[in-house]
Amino acid sequence: MRKQLSLLFFCFAWRPWHLGSLIFCPLVILSSARADDLDELQEKTIKAAVRKIAPCVVQIETQGGTELVATGQRMPFAPAGIRLGTGPTTGLIVHADGYVISSAFNFANKPQSILVAVPGHKERYVAEIIANDQTRMLTLLKLIGVNGKLPLPVAVPKSEMRIGQTALAIGRTLTGPDRPMPSVSVGIISALHRIWGKAIQTDAKVSPTNYGGPLIDLYGRVLGVLVPASPRAEGETAGFEWYDSGIGFAIPLEDINRVLPKMLQGTAKEVVTLKRGLLGVTLQQKQGQDEYSMPAIIATVSPASAAEKRGLKPGDTIKEIDGKSIDSQAQLRQVLGPKYDGETITLKIQRGQKEIQLDVKLEGAVASYPQPFLGILPMRDDPEPGVEVRYVYPNSPADKVGIRAGDRIMKIGREVPPAPLRLQPIAGRDQLMDMLETAVPGLELSFEIKRGENKKTETLKITLAEVPDTVPTKTQLPEKASAKKALTRPKGANPVRPQRDQENAHPPRKQGADDKKAETGFLKRTTAAADHTYWIYVPENYDPNIAHAVLVWLHPPGKNKEKDFDNFWQSWQFPCEDYHIILICPAAESERGGWTQSESEFVQEAVRTVSENYTVDRRRIIAHGMDQGGEMAFALGFRSRGLFRGVATTGAALPSNPRDKVATQPLSFFLIVGDKDPLRDAVKETKAKLLEKKYPVIYREIPNLGRQYIDGRLGIDTLEELARWIDSLDRL
Amino acid sequence: MNRTTRLSPMMRCLIVLVTLSPCPLVILSPSRAEESFAQICDKVNPKLVKLFGAGGFRGLQSYGTGIIVSPDGYILTINSHILNTQDLRVHLADGTHYHAKVVAMEPELDVALVKVGDNKLKVEDLPYFDVVEAAKRPPVEPGTGVLAFSNQFQIATRDEPMSVQRGVIASYSKLYGRIGIFEATYKGDVYVIDAITNNPGAAGGALTTRKGELLGLIGKELRNELTNTWINYAIPISARITVMQADGKEATVSILDIVEKKEKYKPLLPSKKNEGPGVYTGIILVADPVERTPPYIEDVVPGSPADKARLRPDDLIVYVDGVLVGDIHTFHEVLSRYHPNQTVKLEIQRDRKLQTVTLTLEKPKPKKPAAKK
Repeated sequence: MRKQLSLLFFCFAWRPWHLGSLIFCPLVILSSARADDLDELQEKTIKAAVRKIAPCVVQIETQGGTELVATGQRMPFAPAGIRLGTGPTTGLIVHADGYVISSAFNFANKPQSILVAVPGHKERYVAEIIANDQTRMLTLLKLIGVNGKLPLPVAVPKSEMRIGQTALAIGRTLTGPDRPMPSVSVGIISALHRIWGKAIQTDAKVSPTNYGGPLIDLYGRVLGVLVPASPRAEGETAGFEWYDSGIGFAIPLEDINRVLPKMLQGTAKEVVTLKRGLLGVTLQQKQGQDEYSMPAIIATVSPASAAEKRGLKPGDTIKEIDGKSIDSQAQLRQVLGPKYDGETITLKIQRGQKEIQLDVKLEGAVASYPQPFLGILPMRDDPEPGVEVRYVYPNSPADKVGIRAGDRIMKIGREVPPAPLRLQPIAGRDQLMDMLETAVPGLELSFEIKRGENKKTETLKITLAEVPDTVPTKTQLPEKASAKKALTRPKGANPVRPQRDQENAHPPRKQGADDKKAETGFLKRTTAAADHTYWIYVPENYDPNIAHAVLVWLHPPGKNKEKDFDNFWQSWQFPCEDYHIILICPAAESERGGWTQSESEFVQEAVRTVSENYTVDRRRIIAHGMDQGGEMAFALGFRSRGLFRGVATTGAALPSNPRDKVATQPLSFFLIVGDKDPLRDAVKETKAKLLEKKYPVIYREIPNLGRQYIDGRLGIDTLEELARWIDSLDRL
Repeated sequence: MNRTTRLSPMMRCLIVLVTLSPCPLVILSPSRAEESFAQICDKVNPKLVKLFGAGGFRGLQSYGTGIIVSPDGYILTINSHILNTQDLRVHLADGTHYHAKVVAMEPELDVALVKVGDNKLKVEDLPYFDVVEAAKRPPVEPGTGVLAFSNQFQIATRDEPMSVQRGVIASYSKLYGRIGIFEATYKGDVYVIDAITNNPGAAGGALTTRKGELLGLIGKELRNELTNTWINYAIPISARITVMQADGKEATVSILDIVEKKEKYKPLLPSKKNEGPGVYTGIILVADPVERTPPYIEDVVPGSPADKARLRPDDLIVYVDGVLVGDIHTFHEVLSRYHPNQTVKLEIQRDRKLQTVTLTLEKPKPKKPAAKK
């Protein structure tokens, strides 16, 4: 990648930055200099600008911290987790009392100790992180024992910035404050309002050499603070792969100064975190259209969100924000992207024929609720009305009211006094799952249960709990999981409400799929366009009358050969037979076998094709990956929630912050990591981040295991547990 | 690779701007500027050679670049794998080619001297860079415009001129006295260049000022361990470093010395690193359970150098004689280079402040037999 770019580079090495210098360079220098050489003139101007900013640019050193940092969106060939350098980094003074802003990238490894060297000061200072801006990936440091008198940079007003003007990227990694000149890279402003309206783009070389340093103009004034950034990902390290490529980003200092008063209120104990301002809606998606063409029509409104409080409704079309017209979902992102938690926007929406204008105060988080839990496993593939209880979780709400395996849940209802209780009949498992998804823990529901030999009915009141972080043990889990009548049309009552979308519907099966015996074993497949290869393993005891779970294996980099998949299915052979699981093993196409985001399309196609040819339980399709494949599993889980209900990873951390929970598309996580794995802390943090978003998470740390798969002696119990988790993923 | 045509879009741009610009730019002559660039490239190119030698497998290129440093055919280049052959060939700027032999190598500076021509085939009156003059030139500042000439990617063949890149000096950096800054042996000051100059085959090319004055030799393709990113650098012609030799004496090596001594140059035999007898501080550090555990003091042995310097538990050692010790491993490595009775300045973090203490190191204590549990 780098080499290709560099080739391009020297072809275009004669960039017209003269243009910038001529227009913008200080007139004084131009007229006073008796230079017979235009370049000399520019050189002098550059050096003068660098000297001017130099006293405000500090060097930051850190101690401790993790070795590997999980990456964000990646380019092909990038390793899973980047190894940060150990060298010094850069910061910019933003307040005379010893406050320094820097790129969050420089602290992504969570150092224990931060030391700052200020130009002209003999002693280094101990510094503490007091604020983070999550929207712009900036960190504010307080230098302990510095009060007043630090020099301050001058910010260039955004209204003055022009594409094409000269921009210099300044860093302190290579040269400490003991040398008068920091490092400099020369370029121009390539674009404004990048990264959803948040950043300036420059072709000066931006890299860990100057992340956190200023991008300045030829007067030595600060345009912005250099950060790695990517329009497609979030997180401290997103965009790192573009270092030195001629694509670099800086956050305008004017914008930073605007929120600085808020950030200055932070302390090391109570770090201020600036969050994105959220509306709390999802938008309607249309097959075959992208965000640049789809209008911003609200699909769902999250409970207790900013949008809900102001009465926005599904079906409303967002037409204008703060007077700017919104024609597409991308424009909505562009306008909302720079907004912070607590900011108020003026919204114009269209509801039917009416246009409504209203002010909405954005919120930092959309309240999400833990997944509700009744405490049972349902019997699958049962066409009879109601849901037979396959297993009752000990101490669960169902257990406490005396529900037992073999009972059948016939009706459900919620009593809202003074109206009398009205119970609705349940057609089957899928319908009951849909109904419970929208409930929250703590809610009291009434269930009509049919039990015993004489089929007596009984109505029980049950208060829902949260999904527990346990998996039934092998002895607990009843072997019988299916009534083995998946191909029989359900006899249940008429659906109470229409299915939400096609993907949630009962598995579509090809006519006559059950007529001939389906192919079983380890099989090679190609996509319809024949451009991708994947392998599937269908257990020999495959029965089309049993809905099978699907485990999609996203291999670690380099393990994309047939023999690798052969090993994989053999590790999974017995669990697949015991728990009726079909494996899909897509192969990443890149030379080194790493995953690229664009390959998610083909993985989804593979899952759909298998679902059409075999009896598949749509509620138990799992993305399972290791290493960078694990990051791919997270990405797939969050992106195609209509398809995946579980994400299981080993030795992989979330590359960026998790997306918000969507109640109607539940997603569960099973995280495995060896305690010798360098990513262990990052995986622990992933668990914390997912729990914060109220996702059900199971976390297993395996003693003495390093960076390897769980099919060996050390991990085999966890592999078995993972299989049981897959079997119990339709828990209610 | 024709310089004039590549310049022209920029110059057109300049002309337009000069006419439009409100600034008093009458003194500037675009046509002169263009001419001077072309002239500089014409002047510099004949002083560069293309080298062909070992390589061509496992991703190692078999070509490189060199600069002529004497009229009779001495060529300075970077010490690289391509020189490991009996069949080293040199193509001069006019397309003539010669067999060449390596006459001197200095691993500490990462440079080598190569000679074309011999008694039978005399080489005379070649255009060359004056290394004596170049070595006298003071280092140029960051922001200074530079040109880089090399045969990167082997784009030029036979009599074609080198690929020229323009950039500025990003920094003139001593990358600290830290261990393993480079994979290369050279650890002195370098010019870091704000242009992607260090590509396959570029090593040994010339870094010059905009006037074509020699500044340095373009280095190899290396990763900078400070940032874990690729670095574009050149070794300054004025490079001069002091090396501890195997006999314990210090010696100075310089590029000038190699170029002047030629065949008589003897590379130094530096002492192996980290061979010190070890030292005793009396500092007991915390356990090192993870990579990059910072050197926190767990305890201090009474009466030890650490005790005398009033170090105490929970102090965090940050710098050893100004070198940042990011983790316990680095602390031990840095300390292993000291000798008993030497003093060492430690900067420790205590109560959110840095404090400096001085320790006089002692001989290592004999190891006690492991205590039985």
